[in-house]
Amino acid sequence: MDLYRLGAVSWQDSQLIYHALPRLALEGLVLLRPASPYVCIGYHQDAMQDVDLDACRAAGIPVFRREVGGGAVYLDGNQLFYQLVLNRDHPLVQGSKEAIYRRLLAPVVAVCRDLGLDAAFKPVNDILVAGRKISGNGAGEIAGSVVLVGNLIVDFDYDAMVRVLRVPDEKFRDKVHKSLRENLTTLRRELPSVPPFEALEDRLVQRFAEALGPLELQPLPEAVQRGAERLLPERTSEGWLLRRGRQAQGRRVRISAGAEVIQRVHKAPGGLIRATYEVREGCLASVDLSGDLFFYPPEGLDALAAALAGIPCQEAEAAIAAFYARHGVESPGVTPADLAALLGG
Amino acid sequence: MKIGPYDFPDDLYYDREHNWARVDGETVTQGLTSFGQAIAGEILYAEQPRVGREVKQGEALMALESGKWVGRVRAMVSGRVVAANSRLDADSALINKDPYGAGWLVRITLANPEELKQLLRPSDPGFASFIAQERSKYGK
Repeated sequence: MDLYRLGAVSWQDSQLIYHALPRLALEGLVLLRPASPYVCIGYHQDAMQDVDLDACRAAGIPVFRREVGGGAVYLDGNQLFYQLVLNRDHPLVQGSKEAIYRRLLAPVVAVCRDLGLDAAFKPVNDILVAGRKISGNGAGEIAGSVVLVGNLIVDFDYDAMVRVLRVPDEKFRDKVHKSLRENLTTLRRELPSVPPFEALEDRLVQRFAEALGPLELQPLPEAVQRGAERLLPERTSEGWLLRRGRQAQGRRVRISAGAEVIQRVHKAPGGLIRATYEVREGCLASVDLSGDLFFYPPEGLDALAAALAGIPCQEAEAAIAAFYARHGVESPGVTPADLAALLGG
Repeated sequence: MKIGPYDFPDDLYYDREHNWARVDGETVTQGLTSFGQAIAGEILYAEQPRVGREVKQGEALMALESGKWVGRVRAMVSGRVVAANSRLDADSALINKDPYGAGWLVRITLANPEELKQLLRPSDPGFASFIAQERSKYGK
């Protein structure tokens, strides 16, 4: 299989090359990193809903919609990208999605372990080191090929990531920031010294060759470069970026396979109620409740939020009802079921 | 026909990508089979195919996103897209909940009835063994 080690490329090429390869029915493994930062959104996301486009524009950060699923990510040259394009009949891309991800990400897990990290694959598509994500991945079918794209995170600009997301309020932004720092790690955080990019690429090549068979280093074919150039005008157009996408109820930012930050609003007969919270491995964490409701005792809403930490989402209603009974809560027109409706995870 | 936990209504046509087709005169309604939705997992988004578009049998006409994966749905017959299921825009999980009913994907005019011969029927001798192989491949 062909191997393209492209080093630092323009941010556009860091996305367009793997979109061009399948359109030419070419297989290959591409290793690269973007020369400048940008935001990349999933195929079916709604850019205006998920990304703060004004903040991106003001900071000179472009936004790109990829043909692969998942959420908005901040990408820059401190992340080493691997992009694997395989014909959809290739034996490695048969079977369930989880099996395919597990198979294709095994080389990346092996590289992390080579570096001395306690790395493991976590379904559906994450690689965790000591419980924290160190590699983000997505896959999809493009023009008859299966494409896996992912990154090995050498360093990460947490502040930039939270600045580019559209968030309902600063409380939500703070929770995303905190959750990112707690659930996403980097080689820089995990290793006393990080090998240079070339050394990391060498390891990826070695490990991917074990899975894919011999890899032959090639210059990027001119046809692929031309293919990327052909895609450029449309894929960087406002029309493509602002395509209507998935309309979410409330706001949800996925941090890793086991962590999400969510805000939901619910109109109960007794008033509008809002919950901003984190879900970790199916359990509530860091819950904030607010709204224009009557709640007695007055400090009870904060106490209820604190009492919900660690409760499985599906047990929220029972926990809220128990809290109501224990503390003699009165909240006319807002029942434990109303509050639980916000906390479904 | 029922194969394991999966229904395959006898009056429908099927392809090897786990789509079904119902033929009503010159219109074909297409959707994902109960097995197809099971291997896809929770469908998070169903792209709406453009009404009026001409498609060829086997051509990708829309995308479904599920569990960090964007998959393509291919047209089971050639023809013109005459309807897309707009309910999926608000509730793509209908594909999981009611794959042969409210979760239908697209309606296409049937340009060439001969193409139906390339599709599978539950009564075909190889149908049950094909599904058995697929269940084994996907661990379902």
